[in-house]
Amino acid sequence: MYAAKSVSGGIGLGLIGFYLGLGFIALLRWTLGYPEPWGGEINIIGGYIFGLIGWLMGVGMWGIWGREWFGQRTYPRKAPGWQRYFTFNTDHKVIGVQYTVTFIIVFLLAGALAMMMRLELANSGMQFLSHAQYNGTMSLHGTLMIAVAVAAVIGGIGNYAIPLLIGAEDMAFPRLNALTFWLVPPVAVALLSTPFLGGMETGWTAYPPLSVTTNSAQIMFDLGIITFGLTSILGGLNFLVTIMFMRAPGLSWGRLPIFVWAIFATSWIALLYTQGFAVALLLIALDRVAGMAFFNSTAGGDPLLYQHVFWFYSHPAVYIMVLPGFGMALEIIAHFSRKPLFAYRYAVGAFLGILGLSGVVWAHHMFTAGIPNYLHGPFLVATELISVPTGLVFLSALGTIWMGKLWLKTPMLFALAVIFNFGCGGVTGIFLADVPTDIHLQDTYFVVAHFHYTIVGGEIFGLFAGIYYYFPKITGRMYNETLGKLQFWWMFIAFNVTFFTMHLPGVQGMNRRIADYQSGLDTVNLIVSLSGLFLGASFILFVYNMINSWIRGPLAGDNPWQVRTLEWQVSSPPPLENFPTPPVVQGHPYDYGVPGSVHGVFPGQKLGGVPVVGGGGGQ
Amino acid sequence: MAVAASAAHGHATHNPVRFNRLGLWLFFFSESILFGLLLTTRFFLEGIEREHVDQHLGLAITIILLLSSLTAFTAETAIEHNNQRVANWFLMATIVLGIIFAAGVGFEWKTAEFSRHEAFGSVFFTMTGIHAAHVVSGIGILFLVWIQLKRGKFNSKNHWPVSGSVMYWHFVDVVWVFFYPALYLVK
Amino acid sequence: MHIKHLIPAAVLWVIITAVGELLVIANLYPTVGSLEADDFDWIFRFLLAIGVPVFAFVIAAIVYSMYAFRSAKGDEMGSTIRGNGWFPRIWLIVTGGLAAFVMVFPGLTGLQKLQSDRTAYGWGDTEADVVIHATGAQFNWTFTFADGTEVNIIKGKELVLPVHQKVRFNIDSVDVVHSLWIPAFRMKIDAIPGRTTYMTVEPTVKGSYAEDQSFRVQCAELCGLDHSVMNFPIRVVEKPEFDQWLASLKTGAK
Ligand code: HEA
Ligand code: HEA
Ligand code: CUA
Ligand SMILES: [Cu+2]
Repeated sequence: MYAAKSVSGGIGLGLIGFYLGLGFIALLRWTLGYPEPWGGEINIIGGYIFGLIGWLMGVGMWGIWGREWFGQRTYPRKAPGWQRYFTFNTDHKVIGVQYTVTFIIVFLLAGALAMMMRLELANSGMQFLSHAQYNGTMSLHGTLMIAVAVAAVIGGIGNYAIPLLIGAEDMAFPRLNALTFWLVPPVAVALLSTPFLGGMETGWTAYPPLSVTTNSAQIMFDLGIITFGLTSILGGLNFLVTIMFMRAPGLSWGRLPIFVWAIFATSWIALLYTQGFAVALLLIALDRVAGMAFFNSTAGGDPLLYQHVFWFYSHPAVYIMVLPGFGMALEIIAHFSRKPLFAYRYAVGAFLGILGLSGVVWAHHMFTAGIPNYLHGPFLVATELISVPTGLVFLSALGTIWMGKLWLKTPMLFALAVIFNFGCGGVTGIFLADVPTDIHLQDTYFVVAHFHYTIVGGEIFGLFAGIYYYFPKITGRMYNETLGKLQFWWMFIAFNVTFFTMHLPGVQGMNRRIADYQSGLDTVNLIVSLSGLFLGASFILFVYNMINSWIRGPLAGDNPWQVRTLEWQVSSPPPLENFPTPPVVQGHPYDYGVPGSVHGVFPGQKLGGVPVVGGGGGQ
Repeated sequence: MAVAASAAHGHATHNPVRFNRLGLWLFFFSESILFGLLLTTRFFLEGIEREHVDQHLGLAITIILLLSSLTAFTAETAIEHNNQRVANWFLMATIVLGIIFAAGVGFEWKTAEFSRHEAFGSVFFTMTGIHAAHVVSGIGILFLVWIQLKRGKFNSKNHWPVSGSVMYWHFVDVVWVFFYPALYLVK
Repeated sequence: MHIKHLIPAAVLWVIITAVGELLVIANLYPTVGSLEADDFDWIFRFLLAIGVPVFAFVIAAIVYSMYAFRSAKGDEMGSTIRGNGWFPRIWLIVTGGLAAFVMVFPGLTGLQKLQSDRTAYGWGDTEADVVIHATGAQFNWTFTFADGTEVNIIKGKELVLPVHQKVRFNIDSVDVVHSLWIPAFRMKIDAIPGRTTYMTVEPTVKGSYAEDQSFRVQCAELCGLDHSVMNFPIRVVEKPEFDQWLASLKTGAK
């Protein structure tokens, strides 16, 4: 059993490492003469780091990679069938599936926490959670969901599809790729351990000084998120090298499928800005365990420092979340409209423009934080400027469906919903970017509604679009279309009712992150809670459809969507090294209906250079 | 470090060293932001104020680190010309200089006249600490490479591990070129 | 060929916009308790009026296309327009212009008003009629008047403010970050340890928390366990009544 060996090896070495780390630090502190060598957070940090290394080596990194550092021969573990999903596997298709499934599970867990919150908030007064429990639930929901949003589409769909879309046989650094995935389970463990350490108190933003004085759950949050940041950076780096160097011959930048462009821009953002989160949390950890004074105003520190560093990452991060969603939506919209992607260059410009602007708007989260007056104006202007490149995504999407032949399958419905929902989320962003309105709306449910519209509406809908779209390619089987459509409409309607209504309590004076509110807001909160629960139920349908179809769905064929891009020209699921004969690209990917147009050909194929003509193409 | 997929199979056009080089540069990009933010923190909290630090020690370790870049460079050039003996010695020298630097930082920590419980101390210890962590990891990597170099694994055609680790060493050096004035020379 | 579709789509857009603009008319807001609240409501409505057609445009385009351009089978091809011509440029100009407009009009102009004649926001200590020093602590507020009178959860139990007077809050915190927010006045600013932030309001109507829950000081920054209940009632009264109340607190202290 390779799978059992991998997993148990990881857990075993991980645990051994954890205790070694604890003990090592204790020994160190004992030799240095500290009074209590055992009981500190520094011990937890040591344990976590050693445990992390043990885990990675145990799941198989040692044999595949680690031995090489010491000049020894490496050997891969070749697990068959489903077992490969539980080993340190370097195939990007396996990693893509690992990512997607892991994050769907995390999403459901965090969604279940949201359900608890909505139950508590259904009425004013306290129902069944204490204040501490509510804060813990809320923080964990936010943190897990942010992790899902940052990594699910780029890590899941991106890993699966990018090498296929560009005609490569794998990512540039396959072992690094496996490493980025296997760093994720420890993150989940770290975050899920927080309720047992007293529960996080600080929300996902972890503002000091609270995060310095609060309970030890905070340190697990710090460690988990720093690790998570590392996976983001390494993943981004891998995508960049892959996209720059591994495109098939003829696949020039101007012919790149738009999803690849989206991942390209996203990867830059992840690579450049993620360090901000790491630094912010590192400083907090240092304040906590070493008694440093970064955020201690009585010793020369400044709490605002944290907010600047944190948002320097976390604003760009919202584009890490949404750009892959946009890319997925545009990709699907073009294919299912059977039309060239409208204003392709402008869409690319949109991604690059957002990439360029994302780093200069962070202080719009700090309009009420007492920053100097002269900062308000520039950040207001920069923030509203972002709506121009974002608008170009809408130009491209709406232009593509106009006069197309829309094939309204489930992926297409989800893709259109991305555009629809983000229209609302983007417009409410303008209200928040405007300082005079933000002064009132900051930290109210208006903001909560805004970011659920952008993240859930823009990215999670994009994730579902991607999952439905690639399901036949990944599994070789077709999902149940009726159930898919049912889930779409259910989710779409419930989502909009829930979160559109949620703007209202915000304007009327309900602030966020509270377990209890003024009784005047009862009715509207009840509506939100009811439709929120209704929304949660729609995912049961999804889970059922996926599992059932994977096991007994009808065979899908190689190209059920009759799409032109390269991944659909190989078998479903694709062979280990993707393309039996390397493809050569001769034209634009979206030239549907253009006579004589060709995207990719396979010159080495036995039949001899059969061109893949628009529309058809499944052998 | 990471070796490209294509080493094992597939397209002849893929050149793993090219991949690794770009990958490493991107990694440096990302790390620059880390160090840049630490610098920003320093000026955000303290402006251009500075507490007393040991100037002689600071200058000495800076010179040592710069020298080590020079020896690292010599080692890389030597292996490019297939001169294993010189490469071997100079890589060793780099490691030794690196260790002296790290020890110097340790000494500075021990003798510092400010405490980590106030802002300048926090900044100073964190910046030198994070940098020293990079130096130490650099030493570790160089050491692993050195062992393989001694075994004669590298030659003029195949020496990416040497080049890569030396590039990393240069990068850590360049970071210090920014940190040193910010911590020792300002005002 | 476009015209055939453009007209019904445009009609749809107009209808959705018209329905949406009802939001502008609707009164979605808590009591307008101050001059600042007036400004907020006005700007919010203005942005709604502009934002609704933008969102309605997106809805109309999607809904109309889903209806008019749907195709049951996947083997029909759409038209081959690529959008390299004049249309994207127009779009860029229109959205760019719109963005520039909102930036300047309710944005920068509103900001200027917020920061100049009211004050981070507003007027100085000297121009204010009443200066209140507010201190946040886990999990209560303390308000200190210029003459040294303190109001908190034990003493006074509510904050009384004079109507039509310029009130300035100087705000700091003793432990973690809090945020002082008064929904009826639509004003908020964080309370940060080690700094003093300030905000100014001019109440315009009388009211009290007992009748209207938006008359309260609400902590709006997560500050730990009891953040949910870190609020404090406000009552706005005529100036004489305010003076009386302040005096009564003083005698009460002796
Ligand atoms: C995917 C995530 C995502 C995305 C894409 C966005 C996009 C935007 N966000 Fe949002 N935001 C969040 C996630 C996101 N946000 C989160 C999570 C928070 C809260 C964090 C926390 O505190 O916990 C937040 C908070 C937040 C704030 C701070 C609120 C506060 O706490 O006070 C602000 C303020 O400026 C803001 C603004 C914007 C703007 C202007 C955009 C723009 O990018 C939107 C641009 C899009 C459009 C405008 C629509 C399309 C354009 C057209 C159709 C063209 C024509 C239109 C015009 C010219 C107007 N957001
Ligand atoms: C990807 C991002 C994402 C997603 C998808 C969601 C999804 C949802 N969110 Fe979340 N939310 C955030 C990101 C997200 N949220 C963030 C970042 C915050 C801020 C936190 C902070 O302030 O720090 C937040 C905060 C937040 C609040 C404010 C809390 C507060 O300020 O006090 C609320 C309140 O209603 C809420 C509600 C919901 C609801 C109802 C959903 C629904 O869409 C959920 C849908 C339901 C499911 C997915 C459940 C499915 C589960 C089952 C069917 C059960 C079976 C499964 C198991 C038992 C495992 N969210
Ligand atoms: Cu004080 Cu929240
Ligand atoms: Cu932002």
